[in-house]
This record gives sequence, structure tokens and C-alpha cells, in this order.
Amino acid sequence: MRRDFLKCCTLAGLGLACPGARAATKEGEAYEGPYYVVFNASGGWDTSYLMDPKGIHEINRLYHEGDILTQGAHKFAPNAKHIAAGMSNEDFYKEFGSELLTLNGLDYSVNNHAPGARYMATGKLDSLAYPTFAALVAACKGPACPISYLTFGNYSNTGNLVAMSRVPYPQSLQRIANADFVDGNARAPYHEDVVLERINKALDEQHAGRAAEARLPRVERAQNMLYAAQINSKALQRVTPHIPKNIPKERLSQQAEITLASFKAGVCVSANLSIGQFDSHANNDTDQMKLIPEFLAGIAYFLRRAEDLKIRDKLVIIVQSEMGRTPTYNKGNGKDHWSVGSIMFIGSGIRGNRVLGATDDGQLHVPLNPQTLITDKDQGIRVRPEHIHHSLRQFAGIEDHPFSKKFPLGVKKGEALQGLWG
Amino acid sequence: MKRGSITEERRPFPVRLKPATMKRSTSRSPVLCLLILSLISSVQAGSFFSEEVWPKVGAQSCFKCHKAGGDAEESKFVLQDPARDQTPARHASLMHNQAAFTRMAKSLKDGESRLLLKATGKLDHEGEEVLQPGSAGHRILEKFVRQVDQPQPNTQGKDAPPFFAGVLMLDDARLLRRVTLSLAGRLPTEAELKRLGQPGAFDQMLDSLMKEDAFYDRLREGFNGIFLTLGADGGDSSILSYDNFSKTRNWFQSYDLSHIQDEKERQQAGYKLARQYREALLGEPMKLIEHIVRNDRPFTEIVTADYIMVTPYTARGYGNFEEIKASFKNPDDPFEYIPVKLKALVGRNKADNQDSETGFYPHAGILSTFQYLRRYPTTETNRNRLRARMYFQHFLGVDVLELAARVSDAAATTAKYKVPTMEAAECVVCHKTLDPIAGLFQDYWRFEGVYGKRKEGWFTDMFGAGCEGVGLPGEERWRALQWLGEHTAKDPRFAVTMVEHVYYILTGRKVLLQPKDLDDPSFAAKYRAHQEQRAVIESIATRFAQKGFNLKQVFKDWVATDFYRADGLTTAALNPERQAELDDIGIVRMLAPEQVERKVAAVFGRRWGRLNDQLAMLYGGIDSKEVTERATDPSGAMGSLQRILANDVACKETALDFSRPAEKRLLFQHIEPDVTPGTAEHDAQIRRTISHLHERLLGRVESAEVERSFQLFADIVKEAAARRHDTEENYYCRQGLEQPVSDPQYTVRAWRAVVTYLLRQYDFLYE
Repeated sequence: MRRDFLKCCTLAGLGLACPGARAATKEGEAYEGPYYVVFNASGGWDTSYLMDPKGIHEINRLYHEGDILTQGAHKFAPNAKHIAAGMSNEDFYKEFGSELLTLNGLDYSVNNHAPGARYMATGKLDSLAYPTFAALVAACKGPACPISYLTFGNYSNTGNLVAMSRVPYPQSLQRIANADFVDGNARAPYHEDVVLERINKALDEQHAGRAAEARLPRVERAQNMLYAAQINSKALQRVTPHIPKNIPKERLSQQAEITLASFKAGVCVSANLSIGQFDSHANNDTDQMKLIPEFLAGIAYFLRRAEDLKIRDKLVIIVQSEMGRTPTYNKGNGKDHWSVGSIMFIGSGIRGNRVLGATDDGQLHVPLNPQTLITDKDQGIRVRPEHIHHSLRQFAGIEDHPFSKKFPLGVKKGEALQGLWG
Repeated sequence: MKRGSITEERRPFPVRLKPATMKRSTSRSPVLCLLILSLISSVQAGSFFSEEVWPKVGAQSCFKCHKAGGDAEESKFVLQDPARDQTPARHASLMHNQAAFTRMAKSLKDGESRLLLKATGKLDHEGEEVLQPGSAGHRILEKFVRQVDQPQPNTQGKDAPPFFAGVLMLDDARLLRRVTLSLAGRLPTEAELKRLGQPGAFDQMLDSLMKEDAFYDRLREGFNGIFLTLGADGGDSSILSYDNFSKTRNWFQSYDLSHIQDEKERQQAGYKLARQYREALLGEPMKLIEHIVRNDRPFTEIVTADYIMVTPYTARGYGNFEEIKASFKNPDDPFEYIPVKLKALVGRNKADNQDSETGFYPHAGILSTFQYLRRYPTTETNRNRLRARMYFQHFLGVDVLELAARVSDAAATTAKYKVPTMEAAECVVCHKTLDPIAGLFQDYWRFEGVYGKRKEGWFTDMFGAGCEGVGLPGEERWRALQWLGEHTAKDPRFAVTMVEHVYYILTGRKVLLQPKDLDDPSFAAKYRAHQEQRAVIESIATRFAQKGFNLKQVFKDWVATDFYRADGLTTAALNPERQAELDDIGIVRMLAPEQVERKVAAVFGRRWGRLNDQLAMLYGGIDSKEVTERATDPSGAMGSLQRILANDVACKETALDFSRPAEKRLLFQHIEPDVTPGTAEHDAQIRRTISHLHERLLGRVESAEVERSFQLFADIVKEAAARRHDTEENYYCRQGLEQPVSDPQYTVRAWRAVVTYLLRQYDFLYE
């Protein structure tokens, strides 16, 4: 009964009636997937150096058209000779190409960082209220998970649906996991068990009593979220056994280990991972040849560690950036903002070895037929973030959840991408 | 104590915040005056134009281009910005705009109103289709056109009950507690509580409170949450540029510490010196805010002050310590700030010397501080646009990227034009406003932004330096930021924005944005909520300006509003519309880590001391650099921290309090550990103590909750009596006692459980 109550109060606190909104997890239960991960190349990646190679018109300076490589259905830019560290495109496609779905010619619609990041994260350009996909799916599938939605940067709005968790270091989780023990020492409880039970019981009763009170909507929401946070936090104890003692120093490795430990412990649904500095207005090639390999190495690290933890087959991974880079170089050998780009996916239920959509020789978008997923200048549409998010919601099975309905994407009938996931 | 009532008489001080009444303008052209007069009867609060057409269509869809300085300023349909209209209730601009809409509505093309044809892109309209036929916005315009032909009385919204009907307000005592905790990190004093109800007392108490140092700590913390200058890149070595301060900025490296014999100690002292210097430097912009408010100076000085705040340490960095050291009370105090004018910067080459007609650095409040410039640096391609964007956001409340317009094909537009930001209509709409401000920062170009001109001269493929249609006069170039500050101080949006900033400091969230989705079923409710809040913001802003921009007045006015006092409801049954109207009402702020620590200190006499660094970040804090927004809802990780806090604070404070003489106790003044439940006298004594704990920790005493705490205490003691247990408190919870406290009857541990229970509650962890 307490579990049902908790489930209800979490949703009721968000202004939703309980009967129509079922939570996917209950207090104490481990969330067992799928786990959703968004990798952000923050600042704007140069897609011509990765999944949308262009060897013409001096769109890039490091290879020619004849140098472009293929792996299955994928065409990609060669970069093994130009990188000093990280993972080359060659190695990445060789290892993951068969699982990888790429969509080129995505119309970001704007070429500024803030709105671009917001649009890519939420599927809505003109609202500040919308949750990111990661937050939305966490709220729908794991409202009772203690760190349901993890974020390490980039646009992270929750739409007031779920609390976001920022965990800067793996060690910080270890410090707080055993909250009822002095310094987390299992042999030094603050209270005897019987006392702690009575404290928790009093809090339960108080919370139940408040449900009948007249409360302002904000008060109700806050009290419910606070209660759920404290109760659910007990599950954090499950995380620490999965945090390795030695973690590589790379930026994404730290984020990966915190995320994977949380997934493995069943306390987390989604995570927003990010590395920045892609905004290569000066010396584009130098920067992109450093950052793309670092980014790919981080993704590979994540997938391999997930394999070790035996949760690889439960991952849904989205790889994105908030904008692309111009097909021309500026005077500082950099590339400026460009509103057309790409997005990639890997994961359970996603058929890989596919490339959809395209850009033309000027790196301009080519319309895509939403029914056939073939480029089609006559019947095609401009595929925009809302189309991607519409498909993601469908894929996650949350498109009809009350939370999703609260934040409609406005994709017109006939514009939904059919069979995107294969 | 009962919850507060909603009666007007209970207000702590009589502030009336109503939208100002209409007043005729006399400074406009005769033609416009006639037009205004003809419209006075039709433009009234609640008119269809002011409530529907303008906010839902005009402001959202037309005004972006159809304004002075806008891309469509050459057209005949030029609108005025109500946000910059200083006439009461914005009537002059609304009347102007209604006249423009009316003219356009009456103008026909093949029997159809040009207003509708233009909006749907059917006539020559550079903005193309801005409203789809059949959309909510289009329907509003259709209705407007019909009304222009056949005026009808507007009855919409006349029967709505008062916005705060059925909302319970805090009583004076709880309001005082909210204010003292929020603004000064302390509980109300007995003397203050006794004065409640006396005429003018609350107002005077607020005045006193805003003289306390703790208020200024809070003020700086709050404004740093907005300006984020503590996150300025670097410290000594980059805030003060090499070219201008190469000989002085690293003064601490050669500071004579030879009087310290021990080498390690000397080394530590050197580190401390450098750390305090850096801290003092980073603190200067927020200390400027403190100085302005503490001395009741006009808050416009945050953009006009012709001085900065320096300390003995930072003055050494600037190289002017010897000149000004006599002005310090203690020249060795790293954190004694005084106002000082810097001399114009001297470069390594004569050509790099700063232009100045006065010989002084052209200070313009925060705008020209090195910390602000370093916090928002520029690049060759960004061209100061980040600074321009932050200027609009920080000082005029406009986030130019917040709701960026979708461009039909941004990439194609970029490719089509040589200079899209000056040629493509969809780019010009923002850049015509943004780029002139960027141009005003043009002399702060080097070193990622600290003073230094661009060698090649300022960019010619940008709109020239200026401010919203007014170009920067050539002779003002050397003091361009001062010129900008003066414009800013006169802009009505400045006062409004500062009122919004104070709201953010008080509530932890931004003011409501106007809802955009006209098809949202809750649109009307959300719109009303926005309008109600907006009316109060504008009223406070008007008073702020009238009171000489004294920011304390803004705090006082916000505290007096129903928005700050709202605390509950009289009835649980809210229909969805009312639910949406009240969705944002109530402070209901999860305390930030710093606030939690202050509250612990206020209640228990000392901080917990653990919500720092990593744990503060985990608890939703900011670092002013990469993490710049505080968490507003608790995650499970934060829930865990709350449990640790409750366990640990109760552990450290309960037995300790009992170990003090009764008269010095904060929690258990009227009870001893040997008082156990079971007799009427003891039970009453325990209940009194619980009431005191509820009051002290939660600020709320409700009989049912006191009973629940009593039962918790009694059950624990009873259960312990039935089994063997230690006769002393937990080892960890009896450290540092003033004298030993034995616990043979388990009462100390039971009290600790009660304190733990209270510390985990909403009323402690939220404001």
C-alpha cells in the first residue's frame, strides 16, 4: 500500500491524477531498463569530419572525395592520420558501424548555441518549459528511482516532472550512499533500527495526512517530491558496489562510470553526458580532430563498460550536437555555426548499419520522405528535432503518457518518421 | 499558532501596489494626441485590444520587426514597445499600437482587411506568413477586424473573482520568520516578535534587517546567482591583464614574509595571501552592489558608477595601493573594500594607452569591471555578441536567444547572403538590436575582452555601435560603456528587470513568462497568472524609480505582496483552470546549500559545515562557471543528503544542548532528560518542549503535528523501557559535550529522534 501511495503521490504532485498515470517503478524496486543515454558534443560538431563526409568544394581541408571511407552502409571521413589521441573514425565504424543508425541533413533551424541545445534536447524550439527527452523518459519510466535523471551538463530542463541529479564525482555518491550511518560506516548507525523505523513511520503518516489538506499546487508538488526523494534515496546503497576504484581520467569516462553504476544498481533511467569545446570558430580542424576522437572514445568506453556490466543490450544511445559547422572556413581557419547537421543512434531495438537523410554538395539539407525515409525533393520534409523526439517518444513507449501529452511536439499527421528504428 | 488569515488588516505595513491609473500625455504630437483622445474611450484595461490582440498577436508576432530600429521600421505599420513606455499602465504605447492595428484593419484590398492578408502572407509582407489561417492568433485578429467594423462592449473577464481569493496568507509572525531567515539567516528576536502589530513596526524591522551584514552576504550571493561574476575566468593573472598590470598583478609573489621563520609556515602564508587576493578580486563586482545598497545609493549605479570597489590586496594588484592606503581602516585587511577610481590604463606601448578625456578609466558600474568582461569573454567570431546578449538579459530583462525565431532555412539563408546578419530579414531582426551593443564593447577586445582595441578597427560588417536606434556619437567612443550605462539607467525596463532580479533572489525562480501557446486549454489561466504578477512587478518598479532606485524598497515591496505571503488554500477542490492560475503561487523554495547551512546555524547556533564543495554541488549548488543554475527539486541523491543532515545535526546538537545550563539551551530549556511520558504534568512539559521545537525548527505549530511528535517520542521511550539498552547516548553523539549527559531512560535519544524527524521535513528544508 505504501508503494502505491508513493507512486501516486509522485505523480499527483505534478498535477496529474493518479489513476491515469502509472509509474513504471515502485519504491525499492530496481529499474531494469531500457537505459537512455544522450551524448552531447557541446558547441557544434563538424559533421563533415565524421558521419557526413564531403570531399569537395573545400568543405574540409584534411581529405578529398576519394579518401572517404565506407563501412557497410556508412560513409565516413577518414581521420586516423590526423589524430593524436582518442578513437579514430576508422576504429569507431569498424567496431560499431553494424549497430549504428545515422540521420544526416537534420535541420536544427537555428544557429545559436542556447536555442539549438534546447531544441535538440527537448524537440521544442519556442518554449523554455519543455523537458529534455532524458528527463521525460525518466519521469515516465522511473519516477521512484533516486537518481532517475542524471545530467553532466548541456541543456537539462526537467519540465518539473522529475528531479535532476548532478553527481560531479563518483566518490560523492560513495559519501552519501549510507545515509543512516555515521560517515557511511555500516557498523555505526545513528539510530537503532527500531527508532529509525518509527521516524520513518511518523514521516509516512504525516505525508499521508497532508494529502487530504488544502495545499497550493507548488506546496503539494514540493512535499511529494521531497518525500519521494528521501524514501527513494535508500536505494543509493546499491550504487557503490558498481563504482570501480580506478577510473580513467578522460572527461567522459568519469561520467560513464557514474551513469553505468547507477544503471546497474537500478536507480537511474536516463543520463545526459556531455563534453564541450566543439565550438571551433578558430582552427576548426585542430579542434575537431582532438574532440571528435575524444567523443568517440568516450562512447566506445561507455559501450564496452556496459558490456562488462552486462547491461549493454539494454542501452539506447543518442549521439548529437546542437549545431553543425559551416561548409566554408573563416579567416581564422575556423568554421562558424551551421543549422544543418546529423544525429546518430545505437541501441537495443535500433537496426544499425543504416544512413538516412542527406545533405547536398553545399551541405544544405535534402528533404526526406517521412513514409519511405528516402530523400525526396518533392514529397520530402525538413526533418527537425521535433520529428526525432516524436520518434523517440514512440520508441520508448511513452508517447501516450500523460507527461508526454503535457508537452506536445506538434508533429503534423503524415510527418512522423515511419520505421525510423527499423 | 494559527495560519494567517487573508484579511487586509493583518498586513504588516500598508503598501498599496496597484497598477497606476491612466494619465494623459502632453508631450506628443498634436495628431497623435487627437488620435489618443479618440481612443481613450476604447483602450481601457480589459479591452479586447490590450488583453487579446496586443499580448497574443501584436507582441508575439508583429513587434519583432515592426518597431523603430526593427527590420520593418520603414513600413507604415510601426509599433511602440509598452515595456519602454513610461506612461501609466503603458497607455500611450497601447493606444498608438491600437491605432496602427485599427488603420491596418480598416484598409481593404479586394474587400479583405490588409491586416489579415498581411498576417497570412497573402500580400507583400517581408515577414511572410506569421499566422496560419484558422490558428488561435488568426481568430483573434479576425475578431478584432469584426469589432473595428462593429464595436462591441467587452465583457470578458469581468466576473472573475479576485486572483488571490481563497489563498491563505502568512500571519505577521511567520512572515517575519520567513524574512529574517531568508534575508539575514537568523530567527526573529523576541523583541521583534513583541513589536509585531505596532504601526510601522514591520517596516522599521525590515529597515534594520537590511543593515545587518548577513543581509549583504545574502545580497551578494543572490546577485552572483544572476551575474555569475565569481565564475570569472582565472584570478590574479588574467582578470588583471598582463599588458596593463604586468608589474603589479603578481605582487604577492614578492611580498615580504621573511618575518615568518618556519619555511613551511611561510609557504602556507604565501598561499593564503594569494588565495585571499584572488578571492578579493573576484568579489569586487558584488561588493559594488553591496556598497550601493548599503549606502542607499541609486541602484542605477550598477551601470553608471564611476568607481570600483578595491581592497588593500586588490589595490596592490592595480598598483594604486600606496596612493589610497590611507583610506583603508586596516591596510592589511584583504577584504576591506572601498570605492576607488582607477586611472586610465597604461599599455606596454604608448599606442596601447587607454583613451580617456578625464585621465580616469571610464567606469560604468559592473559593465566595465574586468571581472564582468572576463566572465563573458569574446572571440574573433563572437564579436562581443555574448556580452551584448548578457547585457540585455542582466540589465533590461531581455533574453534575445530565449525564444529564438525559427528561420525557414537558416543554412540556406547563411549561404545566400554575404552578410546575413545585416541583409537577411530573419537575422536582422535580432542583430539590429544586438550588434550595436556589441559595438559599444569594441575597445574591450584584447585578452579575451579586457581593454584593448582591435588592430584592424571594429567590424564594418556589423550594425554600428549604439543603443536601440541611437548611434554612439564619435566623441563618446572613449566612454562607450558609460554612455550605455546612462541609456540603460533611463530605460524603464531597467527598473522592471531589477524588480525581477529581486524576485529571483527571494524565490529562487524567475518571474513568469507570458504563455505563448494560444491553443493551450490553460492559456487563459496562465495568462491571467502572468498578468497578475506582471502588474505587481510594474507597480514595484514604478515605486522603485520614484524612490530614487533604492533597492531596499524593492525587497520591502515584494515582501508586502500576496505573492510573497501566500501560504495555503482555504479549499482543496480546485478546478483545472484555477489550478493553472495558482500553479506558481507560494514561495516554496527548496533551500540552497548555503541557505541550509545558515538555517542550521540560526536554529542550532552553529553551521553543520558539511554542505561545501562536492556535497554542495550534489545538493544542487552552483560553481558560477559550468553549473550556473541551482537545482529546484530534490533528487534521491539530495534526499540522501537530507537524511545525513538530519541524522548528523540531531546527533551533534541534542545531547550537547542538554549538556548546557538550562538558561543557555536553545532546544530544551524547560525539560530535563529525566522527564518521561506518563503523567499529566510530564506529558504537558514534553508537549511544550515539542511545541518549542516545532516553532524553532519549522516555524509552524499545529496541534496534530505536535501530537505526532509527542507520540514518536513517547513510543521510543516506551519501547526502550521494555528492553535492555545502553545508559549513554551513542558514542558519536556525545562528543564535545559541556558536561556528561547520561541517558538511562533513553529520553535523550528519543529527543534526538524527534529532532531528526523535524529536520527531514518540508518546513525545515524549504522556504
